[in-house]
Amino acid sequence: MKKIKSICIIDDDPITVFGIKKMLNSFELAEEIKTYVNGKEAIDEITSMVEQNIPIPQVIFLDINMPIMDGWQFLEKFLTLKIESTIRINIVTSSIDPYDLQQWERFKSTTHHFIDFKNKPIRKNDILEITKAA
Amino acid sequence: MRNNQNTLVGNYNRMLRGTPTVTFNYLIKQLPTATAFINKKFEVEFVSDKWINDFDFDKINVIGKSINELFGEISDDWKQVLDNCLKGETGDKGHQRHFDKDENEFWFEWHNIPWYDEKENIIGVIIHTENITERIDNELTIQKLELLHEEKTQSTIIGSWEFDFVRKKLSWCPIIKSIHEVVESYEPNIKNAINFFKEGYSRNTVALTIDKAIEKGEPWKVEGQVITAKGNEITVIGTGKPVYKYGQFIGLVGTLQNLTPELVSKNKIKQQERHFSTIFNSSYQFTGILDTQGTFIEVNKTALQFSGLKESEVVNKKFWDAYWWPIADYIKDGLKEIIKAAAQGETMRSEIVVLDKDKNPIPVDFSLIPVYDDENKVVSLLAEGRMIKEMFAARKKLKISEQKFRALYELSPTSYILSDFDTGEILDYNTSFEKTTGYTKDHIGTLNVQDILVSVSKTQIYRIKKEIESNNAFGPEEQEYIKKDGTKFPVLVSGSLVGNKKGRKLLWSTAQDISESKLKEAQLKEEQQLLRTLIDNLPLNVFIKDLDSRKILVNKSELEYLGFKDQSEVIGKNDFDLYDKDVAEISRAEDLKVMNSGKAMLGVETINIKKDGTITTFLTSKIPLKGDKGKVKGLIGISLDISDLKRKEEELHDLINVTSHQNKKLINFAHIVSHNLRSHTANFSMLLDFLVSETDAEEKNRIIKMLMEASDNLLETLENLNEVVAISTKINLDKKSINLNEKITTVEQNLIAFLKNSNALIINEVDEDTEVKAVPSYIESILMNFITNGIKYKDPMRKPVIHLSAETKGDYTVLSIKDNGLGIDLEEHGDKLFGMYKTFHENPDARGIGLYITKNQIEAMNGKVTVDSKVGKGTTFKIYFNEKN
Repeated sequence: MKKIKSICIIDDDPITVFGIKKMLNSFELAEEIKTYVNGKEAIDEITSMVEQNIPIPQVIFLDINMPIMDGWQFLEKFLTLKIESTIRINIVTSSIDPYDLQQWERFKSTTHHFIDFKNKPIRKNDILEITKAA
Repeated sequence: MRNNQNTLVGNYNRMLRGTPTVTFNYLIKQLPTATAFINKKFEVEFVSDKWINDFDFDKINVIGKSINELFGEISDDWKQVLDNCLKGETGDKGHQRHFDKDENEFWFEWHNIPWYDEKENIIGVIIHTENITERIDNELTIQKLELLHEEKTQSTIIGSWEFDFVRKKLSWCPIIKSIHEVVESYEPNIKNAINFFKEGYSRNTVALTIDKAIEKGEPWKVEGQVITAKGNEITVIGTGKPVYKYGQFIGLVGTLQNLTPELVSKNKIKQQERHFSTIFNSSYQFTGILDTQGTFIEVNKTALQFSGLKESEVVNKKFWDAYWWPIADYIKDGLKEIIKAAAQGETMRSEIVVLDKDKNPIPVDFSLIPVYDDENKVVSLLAEGRMIKEMFAARKKLKISEQKFRALYELSPTSYILSDFDTGEILDYNTSFEKTTGYTKDHIGTLNVQDILVSVSKTQIYRIKKEIESNNAFGPEEQEYIKKDGTKFPVLVSGSLVGNKKGRKLLWSTAQDISESKLKEAQLKEEQQLLRTLIDNLPLNVFIKDLDSRKILVNKSELEYLGFKDQSEVIGKNDFDLYDKDVAEISRAEDLKVMNSGKAMLGVETINIKKDGTITTFLTSKIPLKGDKGKVKGLIGISLDISDLKRKEEELHDLINVTSHQNKKLINFAHIVSHNLRSHTANFSMLLDFLVSETDAEEKNRIIKMLMEASDNLLETLENLNEVVAISTKINLDKKSINLNEKITTVEQNLIAFLKNSNALIINEVDEDTEVKAVPSYIESILMNFITNGIKYKDPMRKPVIHLSAETKGDYTVLSIKDNGLGIDLEEHGDKLFGMYKTFHENPDARGIGLYITKNQIEAMNGKVTVDSKVGKGTTFKIYFNEKN
């Protein structure tokens, strides 16, 4: 399996971050894993990467409920960035609020990026499936 | 002057007889007076130049022309005078008005005398005229002429006189001369005129009176004795008055009347005769006077005209031989008998038929009355015939109308009763009365008004009596009659008083049986009452409006709704009088639409606002009210007050709102719970998964540490959830009045260490007596949360300052908590500000639970919270404490 250059995890829950990182490492799926505790930190860095023409992570694990900037707010901003390649965004949440599902459907239909929606917890067999370059 | 003329005329007469024609003609031409000789055909034969001059005939040859040609049609009077002249009578002087070719008015005095030839035969008339225009112009003469004119209509016992003061000339008319028994040519003067009065009282009075009249201008009338030229003493009344022209006394005019008794009585008889003959001849009756033997002595013009006979054909003939009787012996004999009887003093009268000049039979009311002389002896008979053709026709008409009346009387459905007004005795009644009451004609004579009339109050009787006495009639009046069988029934009675020959007062009454209409009336009344009761007891407002939207009927509900006690206070009022202007305009527009289209408006929700501001919601129907010909004449309105329903609907609506809000909150909460619990359990699950397959001991320890951390998190989450559930499930909150200022101070005390560490300042500007209704534990928690939040998220460059103030807004006391902290971007976070586990600042202490709980607590107390914030400036929270419930 081809190794993905860069994967990023955006989640305020350290346990979840630990878990995903551990699973990714166990399969050696990524050359580099970046983590951010809220949407704001992530979007700021990705934006500067795009501006500097540095390749951005190909797969993003995104939590929804985060302080300061939540997952949806991040997505809103991310989708406005000029990114030609298709990025895989895995929304990982424990929310079963239909509102969040609706939001997913909405974002999915408006972008060329690939957006997936997964409920926690993420299992090892899941991780292989969702960690592919889109 | 007049005497001179008379003398002159007399002279002509004498002179002219036997004078050769040429000389005659010549002489006449030169006469100083205006004179014309006319022949029997009234043609002018000789004329004096003066005459031609006077009448302006100088341009035409008058000789041979008739006076008709010269003067136009001559009057009958003048013709009479001329005719008389031809018979040898000297005519009186006449006065004639004449207009010349320039339409100037002239007055001429005419004197006509017969013209005799040598053999004393009358061959024509000598007309002597005098232009008296000048004299006439003189006021004196005009007045005298007037007097003369008056005299003419009287008798020969009054004459006139005039006294020309300027010429000192007294003139007497021929009558006065005859009264004085002087010759015609006598010329009086004032002195001898006075001297004719009897010496003594009479003469003195007259002399004095004339003096006084001349001096003071007073008219007079005196009685006195005159001794005539022949020595007879007569009694006279003399009158006189002064005449003025241009304010100057010019003379006297007056009259003198002979009062000698014989003269007066003779005069009277003449007058009576004149009266008699006038009456006799101008009567519309045929009148004749017969002697006792039945011979006509006189017959009037009416009778002659009727029969077309001449007087001579009737007078001296026997009464029964007159032309106008139908020729039958028995009639003649009858007439003879009648005359015989009348001659013996009996007045006869009968209706007979006579024939007019065309032999048409004419009915005549004939009478023959004896005429008595002073000795009470029948001397003649007065026969009178009065045409009764008209009377006949009238009687015939009367008969027809009587028949008509009879038919009406008997066939009329109305009862007629004739009664004696004074005694009440019933004299007659018609068939209708019999049918209605059961009495028959046989009962007439035994019945009295009292028998059929249910006794009424004395005042009513008195009133009717009064009415009859003043108007001769009464009614229509409702009374009750009694039938023969004793049953009573209502009648409408009116009556009028008629007199009969014997002076008895009779009362004609008409009585109409109104049992049925009474019954109908009662039914109608009952129906009306029923309807009224129905609409008054309907739980609906019912009203009827006219075309101008004025209420013409309202039911009890509507009346009560409008706040009035009596219908009359509402009737005639329109919506503008009763309701708010805007509402009235809408209502009027609805009315017009319904009335113009003729289509009903059904079950429309309308809002009415009365003048006092009361708002009521109605379910209104407006139905066009149609008249006889389907023409809309107003509308019927029915409205149901649905204000209560409406209120309940609103309450329900509110309740649904609250419930759905609660429900939403619950779902939200459920999601939160599920999310929070799931996030922890997911971690457990994942970590346990790792632990199972982990071989490295160090890694295992790390995972176990994480598991413990997750467990702590789960516990904390459960505690938080518990807290929220506790707020949301508490239903009956025990709200108390709390002094806000004091509470803030308490919280400040509790936070004193935290405040010191943060170097924060709290400014409490809430009035000391501001009280809020709140749950004590909640308000503490709320204050604590907001104050600590304001300090936690302070701007590191500023010393944190928290301002607290309060104001009253409607049902709420509003507490404002203003900080000068970081502020929140409300555009970005506004919708999540009060959400659970939402944090907005990179603050390690932020748990995202404080505001969520605070909001729940405020809402649990029926309050609300708003926020206003600017990044870099600070945030203001406003907490609304509901003071009502």
